[in-house]
Amino acid sequence: MEFFERFAVPHPSPAIYASMVAIVLVSIAIVVGITYFKKWGYLWREWLTTVDHKKIGIMYLISALLMLFRGGADAIMMRAQLAKPENTLLDAQHYNEIFTTHGVVMIIFMAMPFIFAFMNIVVPLQIGARDVAFPRLNAISFWLFFAGAMLFNISFVVGGSPDAGWTSYFPLAGTDFSQSVGTNYYMIAIQISGIGSLMTGINMITTILNMRAPGMTLMKMPMFTCSSFISCIIILFAFPVLTIALIMCTTDRLFATNFFTSTDGGMDMLWANLFWIWGHPEVYILILPAFGIYSEVISTFSQRNLYGYKSMVGSMVIISLLSFFVWTHHFFTMGQGALTNSIFSITTMAIAVPTGVKIFNWLLTMYKGKIRFTVPMLYAVGFIPLFTVGGVTGVMLAMSAADYQYHNTMFLVAHFHNTIIPGVVFAMLAGLTYYWPKMFGFMLNERIGKWGFWFLTIGFCLAFFPMYITGLDGQARRMYTYSESTGFGPLNMLSFIGAGLMAIAFIIIVYNVLYSIKNSPRNVGDEPWNARSLEWATHNPVPEYNFARTPHVASSEAFWDAKKKGHELFKGEIEKIHMPNNSGVPFIMGIIFFICGFSFVFALWIPVVVSLIGIFACMTLRSFEKDDGRYISADEVKATEAKFGGAKS
Amino acid sequence: MKELYPAKQVGGFVFSLFLTVIALLVYFMDMSFTLAMTILVVTAFVQATLQLVVFMHAGETKDGGAIYLNVLYGIIIALVTIIGSLLILIWDM
Amino acid sequence: MNVKNAQPLEYSTHQNQLNILGFWIFLGAEIMLFATLFTTYFVMEHRTGNGPTGAEIFEITPVLIETFVLLTSSFTIGLGVHAMRIGRKNAMLAFFGITLLLGLGFLCVEIYEFVHYYHVGATYQTSGFTAALLTTLGTHGAHVTLGLFWGLFIMIQVAKRGITAQTANKSFIFSLYWHFLDVVWIFIFSFIYLKGMM
Repeated sequence: MEFFERFAVPHPSPAIYASMVAIVLVSIAIVVGITYFKKWGYLWREWLTTVDHKKIGIMYLISALLMLFRGGADAIMMRAQLAKPENTLLDAQHYNEIFTTHGVVMIIFMAMPFIFAFMNIVVPLQIGARDVAFPRLNAISFWLFFAGAMLFNISFVVGGSPDAGWTSYFPLAGTDFSQSVGTNYYMIAIQISGIGSLMTGINMITTILNMRAPGMTLMKMPMFTCSSFISCIIILFAFPVLTIALIMCTTDRLFATNFFTSTDGGMDMLWANLFWIWGHPEVYILILPAFGIYSEVISTFSQRNLYGYKSMVGSMVIISLLSFFVWTHHFFTMGQGALTNSIFSITTMAIAVPTGVKIFNWLLTMYKGKIRFTVPMLYAVGFIPLFTVGGVTGVMLAMSAADYQYHNTMFLVAHFHNTIIPGVVFAMLAGLTYYWPKMFGFMLNERIGKWGFWFLTIGFCLAFFPMYITGLDGQARRMYTYSESTGFGPLNMLSFIGAGLMAIAFIIIVYNVLYSIKNSPRNVGDEPWNARSLEWATHNPVPEYNFARTPHVASSEAFWDAKKKGHELFKGEIEKIHMPNNSGVPFIMGIIFFICGFSFVFALWIPVVVSLIGIFACMTLRSFEKDDGRYISADEVKATEAKFGGAKS
Repeated sequence: MKELYPAKQVGGFVFSLFLTVIALLVYFMDMSFTLAMTILVVTAFVQATLQLVVFMHAGETKDGGAIYLNVLYGIIIALVTIIGSLLILIWDM
Repeated sequence: MNVKNAQPLEYSTHQNQLNILGFWIFLGAEIMLFATLFTTYFVMEHRTGNGPTGAEIFEITPVLIETFVLLTSSFTIGLGVHAMRIGRKNAMLAFFGITLLLGLGFLCVEIYEFVHYYHVGATYQTSGFTAALLTTLGTHGAHVTLGLFWGLFIMIQVAKRGITAQTANKSFIFSLYWHFLDVVWIFIFSFIYLKGMM
């Protein structure tokens, strides 16, 4: 029996049992549904084996939205628990598990795939490429991410969720204080999806360096591509740190090594140090592509070219380098000397400067522009003041002496939500609306979208601004309850109401998708937004080969040039197009990685070894495989172009 | 047979052996910590550069600039990570 | 598929150029991977708990053998790539074979070294220092092991298919990997062993 007891949830509650039943029922419903509608073949051919960057992007997008709801459910439970003093909705253990999974899910399994979704869909189009540099690797990246996400998400029904916070500091995350397998899930699931992220980074850098359309120099790339490129450079150098740190945690927990223990020479502070060497660049990994989306949206809907292209690029390059110089500001109170804290205070404040440059560039882009307040533009306009508040409170936190007051309070929680939600989540929703016609060929409803925006923004302000006040008054983060005499009750109730409005906003956004699938007109034409950059120079939705003829580019706004300045984008005849073949191996590797990870979590060594052999077998197979891709004939391309209403000129 | 052993590669190999022997002086001779570390840092980085340029042909294509920049960026961030961590956890703790 | 004859065969297609550039970028990540291990090692260097210190367990002889074996293998794979570029398939296979044998030799000495550490009481669980040391060495050793299999697969492909654009590309990328492992070893040799023993 002892063997099976490990798989039981250590702290079960009716909600968890209900979730188990719900997971089983939904899984059965999906399998039955696909079988009933005879969609297995379609699913396998078109999605599970695809190497097409646009479809992989859409799969990232769907996963990110699912994870947004998982993380959002955690958030609502947290706010409900804190809504009144001495609340008993959740006990301490559940609260610990929920804030841990909320953080991990939102950062690693929601924000990361969301930016990867747009990188995948938009970057090859913006540079006029057929696909990414390594389409097969791209599929592997996705399935590794997906395996990691699923592994993390089953934790709460099989063996228990991680409960040591999303930072998983030692010694709390060590075996002495975290005895359940929860923290193993944390280590392994993030490890698997982290490998996927690293490979996406390499893939995108290579793609952007070497697959740009003729005439597109590095300084003529559309801003989203440029920001993605710099973001991927940060991924490249930050994620290996996480890989090693997680390996060391895993050996600490599974093989009783002494990296982060309190005895035998172990050093728990080393984990915090390594975690934030990855963790701080990570926030710039998330925010830079978001800045890219805002740049596209703001310049399109102000109907002006982006102000200060060079200073935009320059400030991002500085951010990418400085992001590796500031990590200590996450633990000013750990005990290092004043010299260290001063150095990192200064670097942290310095990084606010290039960010400020970007804010001014956006404002000056809008200045004297003919602004159209579409849904993406609303998000962008809402982002600027809200993000500035988040940035300014960040500079407050950057002062190491003052940080002793703010550290580990709700003030900090309010600060980073104030940067991440308007910074990343708003950008992703703006991008979702903006690129929806590019992906699916129809528009999302503007009116419902605006309702969503207002609910989200007002809800956001109500939810997070009170935390600044309670934080300064001393409400600590990660405490599952507080006494009535603290007086935090009313403001926390306000936060709960705000969180509720945000939940309604997300429901409105989902309703908008369903409504638009049903009601939106299908013929939006090729340029629904009167946009400027190259991705809009092909059809909506994009044919699998992207561009029938390779575009020739002379500026970062090639499509605008073609529309207004008589620039000739496409020259020559339509020729046959080389495309990569689909492959089932990435999907199978994802499954094997999932099995391997699951066995690792429970220290089941035989399946670990077997699945590792399986992974190496897949790699060997790939090494010996002869795969030269396939060609789409010129006639076939012409037929497709005609179907879309004539070839682009 | 001779064309199989180009002078560049053979020279590079001899030089790398030479650098290794220099580094070994640290072990066989008695010297101050600072001097020893200086020798190790210099020989290790020269050796790495040698491998990069002579054996790995880093600069031979139009991507050479990107490749060197990539390596340089990696080394800068690696040094910041190592020195910063030592500062935080050892020297200033 | 733009074919440029002026360049070596391994660069001859656009995909080949992408593969080589992509691998270089991957090596950038590898630099950071090993930098993290070095960070950990330097922090842990004197945190030996109740276990032995580096000076007590390091032995110069196996370390020297490993260093010279790996340096030589880096030289021979360089010769292998040169032979490939002048179209000498058999010489190339011979050099690749020597490289892999040297790699195997390196691995055997490293295993001996690990067994030695075990016998003098420096196991994986002994202290922060031994954990950092063995993880750093082990990660490098795992890379070498992976390289042995990878190199073997490439040799089989070259033997069966000849020196084509694809096999030349794979061989060149493998040579980059192998040289990189040598560079990492130089740093391990200098900053773990020599620094620990002096």
